[in-house]
Amino acid sequence: MGDTTDGTGALGVLLLADARLPTGAHAHSATLEAALAAGLRTEQIPDYIRARLRGVARAEAAAAVLALRAARENPVDFAPIQAALAARTPSRALRDASASLGRGLTRLARGLFPEHSAVAALATAPDDTPGLRVLRPIPLGALGAAFGMAVDQVARAALYDEAQCVAAAALKLRPGDPIAATRWVVDAAPDIEESVRVAVGATVPGDVPARSAPQLDRWAGAHAYSTRRLFVA
Amino acid sequence: MPENPTSTRALRLGVAGPVGTGKSSLIATLCRELAGELAMAVVTNDIYTDEDARFLRSAGVLDHERIHAVQTGACPHTAIRDDITANLDAVEDLELAFAPLDLVLVESGGDNLTATFSPALVDTQVFCLDVAGGGDVARKGGPGITSADLLVVNKSDLAPFVGVDVGRMVADGEKAREGRPVLALARSDTAAVERLCSWVRGVLADHREGRHTPRDPGPMAPHTHAVDGHEHGHGH
Ligand SMILES: Nc1nc2c(ncn2[C@@H]2O[C@H](COP(=O)(O)OP(=O)(O)O)[C@@H](O)[C@H]2O)c(=O)[nH]1
Ligand SMILES: [Mg+2]
Repeated sequence: MGDTTDGTGALGVLLLADARLPTGAHAHSATLEAALAAGLRTEQIPDYIRARLRGVARAEAAAAVLALRAARENPVDFAPIQAALAARTPSRALRDASASLGRGLTRLARGLFPEHSAVAALATAPDDTPGLRVLRPIPLGALGAAFGMAVDQVARAALYDEAQCVAAAALKLRPGDPIAATRWVVDAAPDIEESVRVAVGATVPGDVPARSAPQLDRWAGAHAYSTRRLFVA
Repeated sequence: MPENPTSTRALRLGVAGPVGTGKSSLIATLCRELAGELAMAVVTNDIYTDEDARFLRSAGVLDHERIHAVQTGACPHTAIRDDITANLDAVEDLELAFAPLDLVLVESGGDNLTATFSPALVDTQVFCLDVAGGGDVARKGGPGITSADLLVVNKSDLAPFVGVDVGRMVADGEKAREGRPVLALARSDTAAVERLCSWVRGVLADHREGRHTPRDPGPMAPHTHAVDGHEHGHGH
């Protein structure tokens, strides 16, 4: 081993993890705004990050891994993965949040790689989930294929983004030191890696973990009707 | 650039400017005046509440479903400039739900003088100041003031109460704008409201005929100093 990687997918990793990526994610808090409104205390935010990483984000990371593998097939069929994830996301608000991020990622994927077969296949991904737009992990997998990323890289991007989304939103919602918020993400590394391992192990849509959390689902549902909010979800 | 720049797509008009300068009111005025002749919809970018959307709905000038509020994650500037996703989604949803639309108005969350719309989001933009914000604001410049397609000096009816010379403020704006239009407006001034509507009709006609090209005021548009004639790429 030399002291450099071979570069495969490396730029994709950086881009997908970058908050400056124009996909609308800056208006999301991963339900943190609702959780704080319901009484979650600032010192509990690291626990909240862990809960998201083991729950919603793990399911999305596994779906992203499956989507990346499907993106390398011919023909590309995302529909079973989209359906499996939708079935494991009972909260409508969380499905909508994922679909909103998926829409932004889809616009980005179409803008960057209009000719890619996986990007073209995004159009039929919601075929088995009428009324639901493509969920976030699907275009994430398609972008991963277009960038030549490895499955663990896509899974880690999804999980890192989740942790960073909570940390960044926390700085807007509560007083706090930005370095302390970054520490929450760094300290979440074992949880991120644990979920990467599970996600990478998924080989069929039925492997997407079903780990919804009723309390989180309630918070997310209440937020959708809030008239005082900074974040869309 | 907008995905579908054909003349059949609705004209997307942005209204930017600091908080409280009258953006929502200007949009309500446009709806009231033009809804009879044009199919319209509105997207608002509220900072914390859906107050703007509610104000417009309560003004009763447009069907409630034609007014859509987006959340900006406390970044109103980002949402109209460097990550326009939420706004594009809203505009496209409205265009699909109420097709064919003639005009979609996008109100920015009030921000500072550097906030302007990306030309990928709107075809044309109004920058709104008001006399109550101070007579010297138009002189301070910034991309919205110097380069928006139309600069509105709003609430001209208040000028006597805040010691501002509207004519002077308009002249300052004109000087900074190299001939681009400046309009002194008050919602009670029917002649000025008619000038505003004519301007919108003119841009819409150009848009339909393919004569209109969205131009970017830029985050920091280069401008010329009358005094020394040097080009600057920065604001002040
Ligand atoms: N006197 C006067 N007040 C106005 C005018 N237009 C708006 N306002 C008032 O200015 C305040 C802010 O207006 P609003 O439209 O909400 O501003 P926005 O924050 O830029 O959307 C409100 O109290 C309006 O009633 C005007 O032409 N004349
Ligand atoms: Mg307003």
